Amino acid sequence: MSGPNQVIRLMSSDTAEIPVERVVAERSILIKNMLEDIGDSALTDPIPIPNVNEAVLNKVLEWCTHHKGDPPASADDDSDSRKKTTDIDEWDQKFMQVDQEMLFEIILAANYLDIKALLDVGCKTVANMIKGKSPEEIRKTFNIQNDFTPEEEDQIRRENEWAEE
Amino acid sequence: MEESTATDMPTVLVEGDSDATEDMGSQNSNSICLSSSSKLAGQTVAPFLAKHIPLQPDLKCRRQADELSMEQLQKGLESVSQDDKAAITHVWSLFSAAPVKHREIMLKGILTQCCFPQLSFISASVRDLIRIDFFAALPPEISFKILCYLDTASLCKAAQVSQRWRSLADDDVVWHKMCEQHIDRKCFKCGWGLPLMERKRLRATKRQTQLRATGRGLNVWSPEITPQPEGPGRETAEETNRPNAMSLNANGKRGADVPLTDDQLDQPDDSVKRSCFASSKTGINGSYFAPRTRPWKDVYKDRFKVGTNWKYGRCSTKVFKGHTNGIMCLQFDDNILATGSYDATIKIWDTETGEEIRTLSGHESGIRALQFDDTKLISGSIDRTLKVWNWRTGECKSTLTGHMGGVICLHFDSTIVVSGSVDRTIKVWNFEDKSTFLLRGHTDWVNAVKVDSASRTVFSASDDCTVRLWDLDTRSCIKSFKGHVGQVQQVLPLPAEFEFEEPVGGEDDSGSTEAGSDSSEASNGNEHHGSDHSPSKIYGDGFTRHRPRPPRYMLTGALDSHIRLWDVATGKCLRTFFGHVEGIWALAADTLRVVSGAEDCMVKIWDARTGKCERTFAGHAGPVTCIGLGDSRMCTGSEDCEARLYSFKSGQGFQLGEGRDEGGSSSPQSPPFQE
Repeated sequence: MSGPNQVIRLMSSDTAEIPVERVVAERSILIKNMLEDIGDSALTDPIPIPNVNEAVLNKVLEWCTHHKGDPPASADDDSDSRKKTTDIDEWDQKFMQVDQEMLFEIILAANYLDIKALLDVGCKTVANMIKGKSPEEIRKTFNIQNDFTPEEEDQIRRENEWAEE
Repeated sequence: MEESTATDMPTVLVEGDSDATEDMGSQNSNSICLSSSSKLAGQTVAPFLAKHIPLQPDLKCRRQADELSMEQLQKGLESVSQDDKAAITHVWSLFSAAPVKHREIMLKGILTQCCFPQLSFISASVRDLIRIDFFAALPPEISFKILCYLDTASLCKAAQVSQRWRSLADDDVVWHKMCEQHIDRKCFKCGWGLPLMERKRLRATKRQTQLRATGRGLNVWSPEITPQPEGPGRETAEETNRPNAMSLNANGKRGADVPLTDDQLDQPDDSVKRSCFASSKTGINGSYFAPRTRPWKDVYKDRFKVGTNWKYGRCSTKVFKGHTNGIMCLQFDDNILATGSYDATIKIWDTETGEEIRTLSGHESGIRALQFDDTKLISGSIDRTLKVWNWRTGECKSTLTGHMGGVICLHFDSTIVVSGSVDRTIKVWNFEDKSTFLLRGHTDWVNAVKVDSASRTVFSASDDCTVRLWDLDTRSCIKSFKGHVGQVQQVLPLPAEFEFEEPVGGEDDSGSTEAGSDSSEASNGNEHHGSDHSPSKIYGDGFTRHRPRPPRYMLTGALDSHIRLWDVATGKCLRTFFGHVEGIWALAADTLRVVSGAEDCMVKIWDARTGKCERTFAGHAGPVTCIGLGDSRMCTGSEDCEARLYSFKSGQGFQLGEGRDEGGSSSPQSPPFQE
């Protein structure tokens, strides 16, 4: 059976085979291009996704399933950067309620698999974790060592004071 | 919980080699989580290790436990007996040596043995433990992407977190994007807009920055492999598509008002061009000649400061005194201010010192209109003439006659001068072929004219309460805009960059239009540029597919005390600004703000998007008749014989909170559909 409902199999880095509808998997431009390249053998052999483990791949596919009907992203989405807001739709917000490790892995996977919309949501989620926080709060949130000397810290604070109006 | 599985697990783990446990226990606390360095030579562990030692070494997994928790762990260990201590450390060492898959099995086993309080303990600890320094672990292009979602204040906080964060958060990639988002436009995200900067530089460095944003060409500017950002053809097209700066603002030259960018900033562009045909000069981009550009964060910062000064009304004020009768018109640029008065003279002032440079005398009656560029100044007078001056010398080069009544308004763009008169006509003077013709239709004084040479159209406002759009090719009226109930004093086409989001439902307003030739399209409410409606249907047959269209939006001000924002294509009035208690005489606008002057002696600054009055300036003792607007300055002229120049650049002589803050509250009768 071919066509959008055709089921293909993906193989995660930890060698788990995950069956998935072709139309869902094709949210990933990487997989879409791969399928076009390899043709019918996609029906018999699982497609290796060597950079993504099973848990993350499942999570990513969950997102792709929910968004399988979305219109394809336009190429010049980035050009109108003014329209970028950090608003995230409700379903995606819930979807992104994961620990930082999973969030990190989702971002990396979305980048690797070339799923722009998911990468955007991931980046927005991290941005929202940074927004409105003091430097110390940011350090706490992400467990970052303050590697500035007190003098440096003071100087950098003064350099950035202008933004606080 | 299954008893059987639970009992199996510990026994396997406790059987350890004492060497290994001894080793672990004696080491300093840091080793507990680290596997590779310790010499775990136990027989049980060794084969295990030999097989699996190359663990996933990615950056984020090399997690360091903080000293406090290590100390607590050590203390906990000291509290148990020597044997138990050995057993525990052995469990740890086994775990730490295990590969991912095995660790997972071990953890699952432990989890199945946990009771709820222990699970709760794990859950609470885990939440605290999974904290990743995203910017240290992610590739820079993704970090940039994240940072580009931040606002100004958050970006500046991010820069204070750590060295790594600072280098990313201060990067040109991020701030270039911020500049694109905010300069000369209002950001959709935050409603914040900053003054315009030179477009040339923006274009020149765009390509380079885009490469960096995608992770390519990091820290390299390599014109040899980088295509020229945008061809010269496009540049020309863009310039011509832009309504002339003059049409936007009868006064002030825009653009270079804030001289923040140096000449050298154009260098990237130039060097690209050079390298195309001068391969022998490839060394030109070497360190010595490399363009030294200011960081984009600095550029942004300077604009931001001017932006906040506008916002909070922080400015310095200069008053220009010298005219002996009311000032009726003005224009300023970087260095000079020109004012025209009912005392029949034009004065040129130094905007820095506030001193009068010279007086242009020759008109026999009051000056109602003027406009200057680098080479000339043209004035219009109640004495029915226009005069062309060399404003640098004061010499009157020619006098144009033809109007049967006083000249009230004029506007020139390239070689076309348009004037409006008490005689109810608009006269079009072509400086190239010396031809002239009249546009007839207004039934009363013509108070304002604006020519848009790209679309070859003219806008006019009249005492007959209408605003008209004229076709210079057919010399006929294309549209008539009705809605004002007082004499219309100003019409101002807005630049192409002006953006307006039409509120749902629109304003139920009496504004309407009648097409000059065909009234059937007048009621079409939702036409847009680029929609199916052909331009010829909207503007008449003269508008073929290739002819540039007139500006999309315009502002008008009238003695009915209202300012209106119109959609030129549909003829719909999109918004009404009310706040002045007497008639509007003067109007200026750019992509960020609208400024108005009125009979009530007040000057008001408006947000065109929301229709809110943001600030009110008092100071004139008479009606405010004319306004000039620049990126960081505005100038007002009044019947009180004085001109006032407000500068929002940071500097000396700053008065905090000049003008009355409208507190963000809407003006009493502002439209009901605030965003």
